[in-house]
Amino acid sequence: MTGVLAMTEEDQMDRFMERIEAGEKIEADDWMPEEYRITLIKLISMHGISEIMGALPEKEWVPKAPSLRRKLGIMAKVQDEMGHGQLLLRVAEDLLKPYGKNRGDIMQDLFNEDLKFHNVFHMETKTWADAGLIGWLVDGAAIITQTDMLKASYGPYARALQRICAEEVFHAQHGEAIIMALAEGTEEQKALIQEALNRWWEALLMFFGPASKSTTGSTKQDATIKYKIRTKTNEDFRQMFFDRYIPRILSLGLTVPDPTLHYDEAEKVWKYAQPDWTEFKKIIRNEGPRSQERLNLRRHSYEHNAWVRDALAAVVN
Amino acid sequence: MSNVENGMSKAYKNAVTALLFQLADDELLYAFRASEWLGLAPHIEEDVASSSIAQDSMGHAVMYYKLLEDLGVGSEDDLAHLRPANERKNSILTERVNGEGYYMETPQYDWAYHVVRSYFYTQAKKAKVDSLCQSSYEPLVEAAMKIRMELYYHRLHWETWFKQLLSSTDVAKEKMQQAIELVMEDFGDMFSFGKDKQAIEENNLLCQEEALKASWKASIAPVFAKLQIEVPEIPETPHLNGRNGEHTKDLESALATLSEVYRIDPAAGW
Amino acid sequence: MAGEKTFYQEYEVFSKRTPTASFQHQFSLLAPNEDMAFVLAQENFMRREPVADIWIMNRKHIRGLNEEEKMSLSRIDNKDYRETKGYGYLRKKWREYEQNMLDEKEILGGGGK
Repeated sequence: MTGVLAMTEEDQMDRFMERIEAGEKIEADDWMPEEYRITLIKLISMHGISEIMGALPEKEWVPKAPSLRRKLGIMAKVQDEMGHGQLLLRVAEDLLKPYGKNRGDIMQDLFNEDLKFHNVFHMETKTWADAGLIGWLVDGAAIITQTDMLKASYGPYARALQRICAEEVFHAQHGEAIIMALAEGTEEQKALIQEALNRWWEALLMFFGPASKSTTGSTKQDATIKYKIRTKTNEDFRQMFFDRYIPRILSLGLTVPDPTLHYDEAEKVWKYAQPDWTEFKKIIRNEGPRSQERLNLRRHSYEHNAWVRDALAAVVN
Repeated sequence: MSNVENGMSKAYKNAVTALLFQLADDELLYAFRASEWLGLAPHIEEDVASSSIAQDSMGHAVMYYKLLEDLGVGSEDDLAHLRPANERKNSILTERVNGEGYYMETPQYDWAYHVVRSYFYTQAKKAKVDSLCQSSYEPLVEAAMKIRMELYYHRLHWETWFKQLLSSTDVAKEKMQQAIELVMEDFGDMFSFGKDKQAIEENNLLCQEEALKASWKASIAPVFAKLQIEVPEIPETPHLNGRNGEHTKDLESALATLSEVYRIDPAAGW
Repeated sequence: MAGEKTFYQEYEVFSKRTPTASFQHQFSLLAPNEDMAFVLAQENFMRREPVADIWIMNRKHIRGLNEEEKMSLSRIDNKDYRETKGYGYLRKKWREYEQNMLDEKEILGGGGK
């Protein structure tokens, strides 16, 4: 065969960018520039492993959930997180094939601390209200960034996100139901959500990433926008989050722990106190409040169960 | 046919209540232990799949507690969360920890134990549920018919794992054999009705203990034959009988965890 | 982890919602063999929807088109003679004979009313 595959790299690149500009979907076996592949691998393996690590903070509340119905709801939610990890890691694994790498390597990258996970999953979940707040606001934040990528140029990622976003709607409602019950409950229960909001506020702002490189020295947003993997900037997402959730937070009688927060009518943006970006850098370096404990749990259970994977390797047919 | 409305005798109601507690508590504890594996299973796809089984089992517990609630015994959440260990009627096997260590730290969970416990327990549950489909208590028949539908998948799932690990590496075989021994040590009260034996059997709520044992053995015998291992013996007398409220420390810690938040204020909405 | 023995085989999962539906691709999973792939498939991808049947297929048995071959799928938009839109003028013709044109529903409706 001659043609596409025999093209010079430059021609291939031109054709690739034409496809991207035309809104075509790139598939796993298609030619793609190295930068595109690497951008996707970084983005999707980080997203996938964040789901896997994100199962842990909520899992802590699975056995403790305060009614049979809540126990069922949170089990289903954590199951979905693992399921999202499965979908995303499958997408990342296919991208890693040219490098001869598989899921085991992704796990090792996590354990070696080369592969990072989202800042929010390094945080402590102190009370049941934290479990509710994660569903309501962390998943709410994730829905904002993920729905922006539903039309991502990389087909397999877009398809995984379709499945994920459909389930995130349930997650947000699961979280809202917990928060609503507490908000309508006793004074003690109300205090639990306010404390949880105070604990999580900065982490929620950080979730969207810094507004520009100048804040932390790096951001992935440029390449992802160039290749039409996403369309909006970190700050766009944060503003959407404020638009969507601040009125709801206030309507439940909660106070946002940022006295400077206000909507600037002239500029049409929310003004807010910047979170401590130095702390953000520390957290994603695995120096957050629960980073090492969670990594340790993941590493330990992976290694402790290695015999099972060996056993399955022996029954391949 | 007796039901909630048209006056069942006090003795009959007591027998139904006793059996429902055994069934409900078994499912609650089994589901609780299974849910501790969430996020920690040896393979991500298995984590997702086995979580469904934990959820189904918790759903079955809810159905049984609801029948108790309908009998006026108490609210399903109170029954599940507030009863002390010595009033619990689950089998010893369902309360056992998955391995050493607290789940909030770095526990040493044993996957072989989980597979064997789940497989043996699910087959025992099948024997009971089949019999419950002919129970004299109609609401229990209705529940059992529904539960039986989901058991097909649970059995297929655990049987597949059981067979594959026992057909694999020497390490896997050895771990599975050890797990079989551990599970069987606690199997003595699995089919026991405890001190409610007579009441449960005479009221035709469920078939006799011996028939359940025979049904369980028959259900696993072909798998064991294929694997060329012997069907293990069920202990004649249990070292502890959960049906009589005798339990290990594992149950106390499980109850403390599962009711920790609910106990903050059982009257509040959660 | 060069040299690590793995059980990773890739299975593509297909399912249909009802007995009369066509199979639809769902996603892929890793499993050591078909039996294990089957016990993982439904709960991984169809937890919330009805399922009437499942197919799993080892990816190594699937032959897809590469990027080059996909170019063989293109065609010119000049084939209305294959479609009803190429025969739209018949409506007017039948009117000349004081007849209505049979629409798709009537043609496919069989002999009955």
